[in-house]
Amino acid sequence: MTKGVVLWTIVGANLILLAAPTVIVLAASFTSGNIIQFPPDGFSLRWYARLLELTDFRDAFWRSLQVALICTALSLPVGTLAAIGLARYRVRFATAIQVYLLLPFTVPLVVSGLGLMFLFGAWGILDQLWPVGIATCIINLPFMIWAVAASVNALDPDLEHAAANCGAAPLPAFLTVTLPAVMPGIITGGLIMFVLAFNEFIVSLILTDARTVTLPVLVYNSIRSVVTPDLAAVSVVYIVVATTAILLLDRLVGLDTFLKSR
Amino acid sequence: MASRLVDGLEVVRAALWPKPLAWATGYALLLPALLVVGLLALGLVYIVDASFRELDTRTFLLAETYSLGNFQEIWERTVFWRITGRTLLAAVIVTAITLALAFPYAYLMVRTRSSLLRKLLLISLFLPFFIGQVVRAYGWLIILGQQGIANTLLQQIGLGPFRLIFTYETVIFGLVQYMLPFAVLMLAPALAAISEEVELAAESLGARWWEAMLNVVVPMAKPGFVAAGVVVFTISLTDFAMPAVLGGGTNDFLANSIYHAFFRISDPGLASALAVILVAIGSTIVAILFAWLGTGTLGFRKSSGASA
Repeated sequence: MTKGVVLWTIVGANLILLAAPTVIVLAASFTSGNIIQFPPDGFSLRWYARLLELTDFRDAFWRSLQVALICTALSLPVGTLAAIGLARYRVRFATAIQVYLLLPFTVPLVVSGLGLMFLFGAWGILDQLWPVGIATCIINLPFMIWAVAASVNALDPDLEHAAANCGAAPLPAFLTVTLPAVMPGIITGGLIMFVLAFNEFIVSLILTDARTVTLPVLVYNSIRSVVTPDLAAVSVVYIVVATTAILLLDRLVGLDTFLKSR
Repeated sequence: MASRLVDGLEVVRAALWPKPLAWATGYALLLPALLVVGLLALGLVYIVDASFRELDTRTFLLAETYSLGNFQEIWERTVFWRITGRTLLAAVIVTAITLALAFPYAYLMVRTRSSLLRKLLLISLFLPFFIGQVVRAYGWLIILGQQGIANTLLQQIGLGPFRLIFTYETVIFGLVQYMLPFAVLMLAPALAAISEEVELAAESLGARWWEAMLNVVVPMAKPGFVAAGVVVFTISLTDFAMPAVLGGGTNDFLANSIYHAFFRISDPGLASALAVILVAIGSTIVAILFAWLGTGTLGFRKSSGASA
């Protein structure tokens, strides 16, 4: 067999595997029947009309949006400064600091959720929404640092030295040379942090109650053995958000950046 | 106007952060991140503390005194051994299948000369990654459920119905699909760093294409494989949503038993002890892999071999 045939067979199977749930959710949301079956009953937008009546889901959507905005607003400065600090400054115990900053990835999500629940419970803030935003920032922060660090490492330090030699003070040099150069990394990291917070599930499941429930948790709680199309229409919200984020990422940074060797 | 604002900010900065403090700039930049991650570290302290306190069944509070009671209970109950074994086996299988599927995908994506195809392959990765786990699991439920599309189609050609949902295999299947984008995105940069000429050289010396692939490309991409493998293994090992939705309570992983111990049995001590065990198992295996294979491409710095 030729190389092309083998490669394409496996990649084709991958593509079907990757796309299947998305395509099916999208198709199911347009059915006119009361249950999801194959072949579908017909085409209608009735489940989208019903979406407007489902106030639980609408409230959960706004809460998820707030969580994602809090997470992004916190991650942008915290992650950017940390990445520049690690990549551009000589700090003692740099390796230990890196291991520590990777803690959110090495600790299982369910354990992070449990630990933060203990902590927020002790502080008496467990019934509020903003701690969920902080939590989603903590558990995904390495993504932000990674994204910015990749940009910082790609920036020639001589550019910053040149600015300093030409008489630029530290802050103007940072704002006019370093920051614009690492902007692609900041945008990439910010978009990833927003989307991951918007669809974060297990930590939110642990940290939310009936009054602070976010959209992924509500979708999970609503999944029953009989599959109804209203959930499919809700899920399409995620397809829309994901598509928007990918378009933005491609427009502002270019998806190809993810293929560059570090 | 803008430059005057910058100059003004510089005056403020110079006053707040004078030259003698310059040595500390790196630490100052890292401080917010250290504090944010510190919240997680504090949470872990609570977990370790609770894991050594047994639940008093009369007061439903954790005991004041430390003991190994929770760990002893876990050690003696065969159900936890079974769940641990099931979780470990699934993580190994998922890692093997995912890496095998991800390598050709990443290879084709990096090597293709068509930028349109490359973009299509990238979008196919990012879309499921950005849609999230719950919605994807829900999609599989529609396809694989009792009256799902797969069974309906199979019955039309006279087969089935098969039990496609709430099985171990389905959980593994869902996890492979979940992990695929992670694996490809971690492998691709490592493959991009390998010059195509190396392969051509191998083939011109008489290696067949699959020999060049297995004996040249795969070994050169080892750091990428290590990074992707570790990420896929640890995320699968600790997953909650796929066993919960596609396993339907019959194929729980350790993460599910931690959740149940806390929210159903209402025993924070037992849940914490299980959490400590999960972290211990995961870290031990990753430490062994790193010692054996190196840290791969994990870590924030370009040239750091000993990171992560």
